[in-house]
Amino acid sequence: MSASAKKVTRNKVTYLEAISQAIHEEMMRDEAVFLLGEDVGTYGGAFKVSTGMLEEFGPERIIDTPMSESAIIGSAIGAALMGMRPIAEMQFIDFITCGFDQIINMASKMYWRSGIPVPMVIRGPSGGGTKGGPFHSASPEAWFFHTPGIKVVVPATTYDAKGLLKAAIRDNNPVLYLEHKLLYRMPELREELPEEDYIVPLGKAITRREGENITILTYGAMVHQCLKAAQTLEEEDDLQVEVIDLRSLAPLDYEAITASAKHTNKVLIVHEDTLTGGIGAELAAILAEDLFEYLDGPITRVAAPDAPFPYAPALEAAYLPNAEKILAAARKLAAY
Amino acid sequence: MPTPVKMPRLGESVAEGAVGAWLKNEGDWVEKDESLAEIITDKINAELPSPVAGRLAKILVKTDETVPVGADIALIEENADVSASPPAKAAPGADGAPVKSPAQAATPVIEVNRASAGNGASATPRSPRVDEEERQRISPLARRLAQEHGINLNMIAGTGAGGRVRKEDILAYVAQRQATPASAPRSPMVTPPVAPAPTLPRPMPEPIYAIPTAAFAPSTTETGEDVEIVTPSRMRLAIAEHMVRSKRTSPHATTVVEVDMTNIAKWLEKNKEEFRRREGYSISYMPFVMKAVCEGIRKFPTINSSWTEDNKIIIKKRINLGIAVATDMGLVVPTIYDADNYTLAGLAKLVNAVGQRARANKLTIQDMQNSTFVVNNPGTFGTIISVPIINQPHAGILSMDAVVKRPVVIEDDAIAVRSMMYLCLSFDHRILDGAGAGGFLQAVRTKLQSYGREIDMY
Repeated sequence: MSASAKKVTRNKVTYLEAISQAIHEEMMRDEAVFLLGEDVGTYGGAFKVSTGMLEEFGPERIIDTPMSESAIIGSAIGAALMGMRPIAEMQFIDFITCGFDQIINMASKMYWRSGIPVPMVIRGPSGGGTKGGPFHSASPEAWFFHTPGIKVVVPATTYDAKGLLKAAIRDNNPVLYLEHKLLYRMPELREELPEEDYIVPLGKAITRREGENITILTYGAMVHQCLKAAQTLEEEDDLQVEVIDLRSLAPLDYEAITASAKHTNKVLIVHEDTLTGGIGAELAAILAEDLFEYLDGPITRVAAPDAPFPYAPALEAAYLPNAEKILAAARKLAAY
Repeated sequence: MPTPVKMPRLGESVAEGAVGAWLKNEGDWVEKDESLAEIITDKINAELPSPVAGRLAKILVKTDETVPVGADIALIEENADVSASPPAKAAPGADGAPVKSPAQAATPVIEVNRASAGNGASATPRSPRVDEEERQRISPLARRLAQEHGINLNMIAGTGAGGRVRKEDILAYVAQRQATPASAPRSPMVTPPVAPAPTLPRPMPEPIYAIPTAAFAPSTTETGEDVEIVTPSRMRLAIAEHMVRSKRTSPHATTVVEVDMTNIAKWLEKNKEEFRRREGYSISYMPFVMKAVCEGIRKFPTINSSWTEDNKIIIKKRINLGIAVATDMGLVVPTIYDADNYTLAGLAKLVNAVGQRARANKLTIQDMQNSTFVVNNPGTFGTIISVPIINQPHAGILSMDAVVKRPVVIEDDAIAVRSMMYLCLSFDHRILDGAGAGGFLQAVRTKLQSYGREIDMY
């Protein structure tokens, strides 16, 4: 391998490395930032996000905690109230339910009750497709999306993984940052990141592909499935599909959503989480309430079925939304 | 005594207008400022608000008829019989049969003359009409578009699943109606005033009058498989007429300067996102150039003038900058009034607002009048030098082209990479000479190059 080729691969980082970089840079920038969670110290995190950080920052800023999500999140709230900027890691996002009360009853309402801001980030690996079964594949966004007082962001690319996490750490509100474990080391997502400091603002969607005929609203790992489907639709059906990556679920980018819907007049919503009461339900309600007369076809959703996440690989493959399912729904919508 | 409604003046160079559609029927009650009709002129389409409240007594000008500005187009009876109260919100359906909901009112029936039969059958729980309604499938968007264009949905065959009428069907029908001079009969339905969809191109009506220009004398047009004959829209014809007239009126001369935009480019690169997030609208090179143009005009006021037909020069004290905006339908040049009174952020906001209105086809009469000088920005299309044609009756027009990085020899004979832009001024040589035009351009350039690394937007 030539020296220059080596250099290129080294400069292109993974989605996971982008998350590590964001934590590292923010801890360097601001002494109030610290990381706490299960196995984040000595072991370097279950997915190695915090490898080497204990050595670099010491045990007061990289804190190995007992196996209690409620204690991790509760401690983070306390620290945030005292002016710190904690990053609380959930080893798998499925276990965030053990800290549910702390988030719903404390973190999200604290500023409203006391006027004291709670600048904290809760982050962890979410999503399926990794044969993780019912306790290691959750997409928990809808529970928190429903709760006023907490922001929810879902990065789909390496650039956004870093920029959104930095923005989340600098935000003065509790932010739930949902990384997707399937994307952690995906070679296609390797990307060269800017050397200088940057953020991706919370509350701003991005158009990943422009189109005329259908808008797809999506986020997280599904962005890549949607882009794949959009490519096929262009090649085989001559349809121009616009793909909007929401990036932030709370707050939603109302303007981007409505502008695109007004442009294409047909909207398909895709998410990995289960269908009923999901993010797509709220998006559909917004479109029906505000843009009814702009719609040229039914608002359509592609999501996981309302069932627990299966373990058997064949069942998992059938359960998860994918480019094929998106393609079928888009074709039906286009023909409507 | 009925109050006459007059054809409004929509734009200063506009002498006549046509009624695109009556939004009220004779006998209808209208509130003051309620939309009465859709007026179509060379430049913009606008809804005409009623000057008074009353009953629309008589329509004097038919749909698609062109009349001079100021002509009476309708009469409104103000002291209408009080006992005749305004009609109920739910208007009768197209067939005159009673309806139970607005949706039903808007649903066309297949046979218009069912009215008489319908009266006796209205008590029947399942009248044949319900079946017809189920058969006629229409998307919400298609329904709205049909109303806006005054289209009877019976005229349209749906191509969607199950024969559903959808957007493409309406747009295809409108395009076809445009191409056929004898336009299809309009629906008798009362069309409520609905804001136009910003992203859909509005259909242009058939050209109603000929442009009185030798350049447009009828020519023998070859037809055949190798060519396609396009009838230009009214706006296209208006632009064509204006361009020929301008070239004939003003002896154009063009001069170009090169401006170093490096500091502004760097500032934009660094602050654009943040500005947009903070202010809710974006900023580009445009406000910087506008600001510099105002400064140039202050130093060389004759740039902001007009040559009159009786050979005088009118120098205008207000600086109202027209900015060229490309829309789906063609070029429009809305006005930013008193541009010299605003900060860079203020100009950015106005440019943004007027651009949005232009693209949404929502420009007002005010937007289209009183400009004194035009800044054109073809640079957004990547061009590097453009020679613009003057917007009459101005003395000049400035084109800003793309800001591109070029190797440039700087002060100490070193070569550096700088962000450069050409500014092209076309001017009326009757009013200005090269010295005046060059002086103005120098002033604009000096202002643009005076910005440092930190720029105060407010």
